[in-house]
Amino acid sequence: MSEIIVITSGKGGVGKTTTTANLGVGLATRGKKVVLIDTDTGLRNLDLLLGLENRIMYDLIDVTEGRVPYKKALVRHKKHDTLYLLPTSQVKDKMALNPEQLVKLCEEMRAEFDYILIDCPAGIEQGFKTAIAAADCAIVVTMPEISAVRDADKIIGELGRADKENIKLIVNRIRPQMVRQGDMLDMDDIDEILSIECIGQVPDDELVVTSTNRGEPVISNKDSLAGKAYSNIVGRICGENIPFLEFSEEGFFVKLKRVFGW
Amino acid sequence: MSEDVMFKGSRYGLQLVLNDQADFSIIEKQLKDKLESAFNFFCQGTVIRIAEDRLTQDQMAKLGSLLERYGLSLKAVDIKSVEKTMRAGQTAAEEIPGIRQTTIVERTLRGGDEVICNGSVVIYGNVNPSATVIAGGNIDVRGTCRGVVHAGAFGDTDAFVIADHMMAMQVRIAELIARAPDHIEKSEHVEKALVRNGQIVIEPAQRNEEAGK
Repeated sequence: MSEIIVITSGKGGVGKTTTTANLGVGLATRGKKVVLIDTDTGLRNLDLLLGLENRIMYDLIDVTEGRVPYKKALVRHKKHDTLYLLPTSQVKDKMALNPEQLVKLCEEMRAEFDYILIDCPAGIEQGFKTAIAAADCAIVVTMPEISAVRDADKIIGELGRADKENIKLIVNRIRPQMVRQGDMLDMDDIDEILSIECIGQVPDDELVVTSTNRGEPVISNKDSLAGKAYSNIVGRICGENIPFLEFSEEGFFVKLKRVFGW
Repeated sequence: MSEDVMFKGSRYGLQLVLNDQADFSIIEKQLKDKLESAFNFFCQGTVIRIAEDRLTQDQMAKLGSLLERYGLSLKAVDIKSVEKTMRAGQTAAEEIPGIRQTTIVERTLRGGDEVICNGSVVIYGNVNPSATVIAGGNIDVRGTCRGVVHAGAFGDTDAFVIADHMMAMQVRIAELIARAPDHIEKSEHVEKALVRNGQIVIEPAQRNEEAGK
């Protein structure tokens, strides 16, 4: 019963890689066996967010070109025993990997892992097409911003064209204050345009930046609201019914919640 | 991917517009992708015009046989002379096949989707920003219309666009274009765009008539 999920967005900078890292850690914390595949060849980042850069020996391209078996290229996370990273090459480009190779690799890995998360590059070109090829379902990450929503719309269309019907949405980097003042799109606006099931609303949180720099995904940080939002998403992926965080109310209340550790 | 192949509605029927700079092999591939994409609807028997001096005979034959596989045919026309006769007040005498048919689209059209149809179209879903609908007849959106809609693409100024929430980026009817105001409010009732005194106007409407007259 393993599941292959691609995390994609169209637009860059909305938090695909951050989301992938956090969901990976979250699923592993729940005891799932997880592998994260970075397909952003040439611009790899996922290893940094997980703090695993210095442990990389081989990469995805070495595997698909048959130089090493995939198990040799996997990097096990230093804290979570059941979390593995398959980094990509920093020197090659997107043309080094084709959809067939990734499908074949994922099918091989399916037997070993509960979840295979694929971190997709930005754009809708070859890299995107390759990344989505193997996926059973897709998570589209967007931001409450008109260009990010527009690109997400396009991506959902592209996913449909590739016969990926199981698509979920995560709205990242929400600034409750701005939404309240009407300076940012709210969930209703986004929902109306994209009209797909939303499985997460993640607030913009400075702790995301600091934890990224430290290579420790924010989901492990109990004081972070974004971390809490991510662990709720993990719960929803595992089939639990969890209500959304209500950070769009009074700022004071949000702080209060933080003090009490939720 | 840049758009080197475009379908355009005009008074003399659907026209295939090609990028002069593009390689023929790219044009061939893009045309094939367009025809294959499930989101493009063409009515059988549609005649596609192309400027006659654009391609070599061999290339014409290739595109022609490609279009034929999708029930379309290609016809070279001298666009300039056609335009001249049009301006002289003569209308294209040929009836465009399928113009009285109605196509039903049962999904939301997302950015980049394109629906092209000789007849009228009813869309059960939204037309999102940067999705395009081109129809020879009327367009009925049973949802929010935020994209670009072109009704009466072959010159029928009686054609109209009707939507539950009319927030279209552009409404085109026959040869007229209206664009949305820069700050658009969501309308709460059904509205209809139609031509009145040579201008596109949008007015409240009730949906008591079928789109495909």
